[in-house]
Amino acid sequence: MRDAFSKCHPAVNFLFFVGAIGMSVVIQHPAYLLVGLLTGAIYYLLLNGKRGLKTILGLLPVFIILTVINPLLNTLGATPLFYLGSRPYTLEALLYGAVTACMFVAILLWFGCYNKVLTSDKFTCLFGNLIPSISLLLVMVFRMVPNFIRKTQQIIGARKSIGKGISETATTKEKLISGGTVLGALTGWALEGSVVTGDSMRARGYGTAKRSSFMIYRMTWADWILLAVMLTLLGVTIVAACSGQFAAEFVPAIELAPISWGLAAYTCYLLIPPALHIKEAIQWHISRSKI
Amino acid sequence: MAHFQIKDLSFSYPTAKGKKSLDGVSLSIEKGEYIVLCGKSGSGKTTLLRQLKSVLAPHGKKQGEILFNGTPIEKVNQRVQSAKIGYVMQNPDDQIVTDKVWHELAFGLESLGCDQKTMRARVAEMACYFGIQDWFHRDVANLSGGQKQLLNLASIMAMQPEILILDEPTSQLDPIAASDFLNTVRKINIELGTTVIITEHRLEDIFPYADRAVVMDGGKIIADDTPRNIGKLLYKQKNDMFAAMPTPIRVFYGAGGNGDCPLTVREGRTWLSKTYPEPMVNILPAEELDDEIEKPALSLKELWFRYEKDSPDVLRGVSADVPAGTLYAIVGGNGAGKSTTLKAVCGICKPYRGKVKVFGKPVEKYKSTELFGGCLAMLPQDPKSLFVKKTVREDLAEMTKDEKRIAEIAAVCEIKSLLSSHPYDLSGGEQQRAALAKVLLTEPRLLLLDEPTKGIDSFFKEKLATILCKLKEQGITIVMVSHDVEFCAKYADMVSMFFDGQMLTTDTPRRFFGNNSFYTTAANRMSRHVFSMAVTAEDVVELCRQNKEAAV
Repeated sequence: MRDAFSKCHPAVNFLFFVGAIGMSVVIQHPAYLLVGLLTGAIYYLLLNGKRGLKTILGLLPVFIILTVINPLLNTLGATPLFYLGSRPYTLEALLYGAVTACMFVAILLWFGCYNKVLTSDKFTCLFGNLIPSISLLLVMVFRMVPNFIRKTQQIIGARKSIGKGISETATTKEKLISGGTVLGALTGWALEGSVVTGDSMRARGYGTAKRSSFMIYRMTWADWILLAVMLTLLGVTIVAACSGQFAAEFVPAIELAPISWGLAAYTCYLLIPPALHIKEAIQWHISRSKI
Repeated sequence: MAHFQIKDLSFSYPTAKGKKSLDGVSLSIEKGEYIVLCGKSGSGKTTLLRQLKSVLAPHGKKQGEILFNGTPIEKVNQRVQSAKIGYVMQNPDDQIVTDKVWHELAFGLESLGCDQKTMRARVAEMACYFGIQDWFHRDVANLSGGQKQLLNLASIMAMQPEILILDEPTSQLDPIAASDFLNTVRKINIELGTTVIITEHRLEDIFPYADRAVVMDGGKIIADDTPRNIGKLLYKQKNDMFAAMPTPIRVFYGAGGNGDCPLTVREGRTWLSKTYPEPMVNILPAEELDDEIEKPALSLKELWFRYEKDSPDVLRGVSADVPAGTLYAIVGGNGAGKSTTLKAVCGICKPYRGKVKVFGKPVEKYKSTELFGGCLAMLPQDPKSLFVKKTVREDLAEMTKDEKRIAEIAAVCEIKSLLSSHPYDLSGGEQQRAALAKVLLTEPRLLLLDEPTKGIDSFFKEKLATILCKLKEQGITIVMVSHDVEFCAKYADMVSMFFDGQMLTTDTPRRFFGNNSFYTTAANRMSRHVFSMAVTAEDVVELCRQNKEAAV
């Protein structure tokens, strides 16, 4: 994957997402939420390409359903649109539903980006120094999952080729028994493997000294600058939030704080990854056209 | 001072009832030596190697002494042992601990608590030395077996050991990856002076380069000499281990050669051309293949298959006809699609084009109970994937209730004495035979074998060959996928070359290997300049004998 932000130090990545997702959780002001949603969608698209578009379109129904449902549960609000029996369906509640849905979808999108950018090795690299034993455990789990899947497929294939596979006419009970057998075989195999893994770990000095962690990522000056910019923007946004720029009331009546410089800071903050991505794409294009 | 000094070491496992796994072993290993340890499965090689590193030493009763650089091994600090004594095991997969290549390289250094600067330098150094740069950031799960084993070696070398112990490191690898690996080990020995102790089934690649060969039998060292002398000694003793010696040695003594015996193919060629400058008989009869095959047991027509929608095709028009009652071998490079072809026959993968006919009937017309009950069965590459119970007997009983039949098959596969053992406690060769027994209990008429000789030593290979011959006599058709050209040349009736997703050529082994100049057996490479169509050591010996008779 060619994404400029992903190539930054994991600490920078991690802090950014803490900021982005953390802010999305607390913000209720529609303007800010919309910015969060749009930037999240842009970055998600940049990271995932066409496949990302499918996911985003898939989130649309979620957005609509969440929006429409809220007024059914919440009847407060000054402007009833229509009545369902004796219960009013109010504009304010509908808007509030839209805001919640917006927040939900934005958080999902940013988490999607987080998954793409902060891969397992970056995560363990970040926290390896703080909790070495747990991070090693995590790494081993990451290694075991694909291993298990492969071995399960092998066992199922092997059993099929001696006529012990699940036939088309098998009953649920037969399927369950067959699954249990495979699981049993898998456990035995895994235990056998873990003895070897344990030997291999001890043979390489596991437990003979306090573990250190190999850091494959280094903070470059560019990372430091980026970190400084990020923290400044985030700081400004937080100051804005504290001074009440993010305030929003929906029920009983809609009251929104006027839009101010806080929005600019927040937008700039969230635009960092997509901007870096686009900047690099353009740079690459220019340098290639020079060749 | 010797690097390792083993003095009168005896060892017995707690469950062995006093039977000694090691019996009075004395061995001295000098710094920088390259030592090959050979012996049958169960002769105590692994037990001996594990004693050389305290954390790996099994529990049991131990007598005698092991000195590492003059200090008893128990008194050598664990930290020093981890760094100084490197140990590579058999299974490439299970030895790897972490999920990323770079992390695995650093694992040992992390355990020792090295600082960032040292780690960075060592990891970079190792990645370069072993040619790992290109896959440094990859997930371990995406590596090939050969790459995994190389990674295991590199991550041990990162700790800069003085001695490297390798326990059958290439038994799970294909021949090309295996010789890559062994060349790297040799390079380490020559360039860095690291002491190497290695056990191996495939002696052809390492025997000529070893300083010493040590032969073990029944927990005792029965010979300890240069490889050249070991060949002579084993021949004189009529030891079973002679069958495991490299081809040039076997041909030399088989043909009654005198003087220094050749170790490599090159030396073998020189010796042959000196001894038989103008051979009177120089060709063995090699019958041609019948083009017409009546009623093939298995016929494949234009199979096309790929694993995922947008991945490249693995099978690209595979066609073949397997005559009934033959042993049909498919050879070819790694990842060429040989195993996939077998899977396609079994219906584990479904080709998107083409036809598979088993005994003249399209495979999809069979009901699965009909197909796998008395018609077709496959022995997978890893026999472990067939074991699901606690004992071999229970595993066999899963296939049939008929005790008598189980006993018969157990006799054919020679596993009667193993029936009450746990399948995982058996050696590689024994597991292979137990799995084969389980497969045979489906009473197949067409038997598919995926790499049946992988990880098996030469004695078990011969046993397997005898079993396969017995099955053939009973009229069972056997299709075998293998990397083992020597085995195919010796025992197959027909050999096919698989390349680029297709079956390219098919011929009798003699004509197939006799006409190849690279992809062929050591015996053929050694003798092709004087004899033609000699593809096994036995063939070459036979021609030598005929020439001697003709000369008289």
